[in-house]
Amino acid sequence: MDQPRTDEDQQLVARTQEGHASAFDELVVKYTPRLYGLVYNMTSNHEDTNDLLQDIFAKAYKAIRGFRGKSSFYTWIHSIAVNMTLNFLKKRGRRFQLSLDDVDTSIQNDKEFLEATASSSPVREADLSELQKRLNEAMMKLSDEHRAVVTMFHIQGMPHAEISKILRVSEGTVRSRLFYANRQLQNYLDEFRKNPVT
Amino acid sequence: MDEFNDNQITKLLRLKRYEQPPPSYFENFLHEFHRRQRDELLRQPLWRICVDRARDFAFSFNLSTLTSYPVAVTAVLVCAAVISLKIYQTPQPATVAVKDQQVLVVPASTEPEWTLASPAATRVFNTRSLRNLTESAQTHRSGTPRYVLDSVPVSYETTFKF
Repeated sequence: MDQPRTDEDQQLVARTQEGHASAFDELVVKYTPRLYGLVYNMTSNHEDTNDLLQDIFAKAYKAIRGFRGKSSFYTWIHSIAVNMTLNFLKKRGRRFQLSLDDVDTSIQNDKEFLEATASSSPVREADLSELQKRLNEAMMKLSDEHRAVVTMFHIQGMPHAEISKILRVSEGTVRSRLFYANRQLQNYLDEFRKNPVT
Repeated sequence: MDEFNDNQITKLLRLKRYEQPPPSYFENFLHEFHRRQRDELLRQPLWRICVDRARDFAFSFNLSTLTSYPVAVTAVLVCAAVISLKIYQTPQPATVAVKDQQVLVVPASTEPEWTLASPAATRVFNTRSLRNLTESAQTHRSGTPRYVLDSVPVSYETTFKF
């Protein structure tokens, strides 16, 4: 997923800092879909995602006067989103409600999805919707920090360096978390393939 | 059967980026954001709104120029002047006030008689009570001077009586 143009963001941030609320509205419109994907794949609940997104933008609006541009707005808003989501998940604990079964069913008609599942693989052997569901369950079995890294790298397509800036950890930590998370997901999905009923 | 490898898991996870809410959600999100902002503003107390407005007003100027070196030096000088004024205006202990205080302190047991003279000389001092007062004052307030009461002549008392 490509990063938005930084200079355009800087102009919008500067205008917001001057008191033009409409400039912040443009930032909200621009970043809502991107942050929705991040928060939703970490929480797996639409209502929680919606509330969190509202809180994230409210917090960003309050704090934007203190934004000095040491990092890009992209990194800054993602840091706020990840930190607030991780805090929320700690409070929520493990009592999550999977609303991921409400996943857009049109995904099964998506070109990339069909290409991915057309090749000879265990994917083809399993029921696709069931596999999606199991993948979501496997994701929720990861720790919050590992899920955050998986979401940003695999789903959002961020590079390691960007993730390390957002999480304020080293790139080595990001890579090791990814490696561990991939192993975990692989184990969960293999288990499902061997015992599809459970 | 093959097991899932990293590449397959990556492909599966990438598909999750297509999991998005209906487009109407993003259209309404900004309206919802504005509504929540207004609600929060209404819940805030008046003083906080005033503080926020004042802060916004202050931020509308370039604060970096205001916080420059000359302004900081001026602020320090003003603070020093205020503090020094406070120190020099500290009241000194006045001996006159102490004397007056001692004259007016009369025990209730002395039963004073009121006259038409000026308030400073209204009491009819009898020797006995004066002695008692002096003694008690010496006992409890040995550090304070009491030469005024002691200097009142005994013969002076009768002239105040009608």
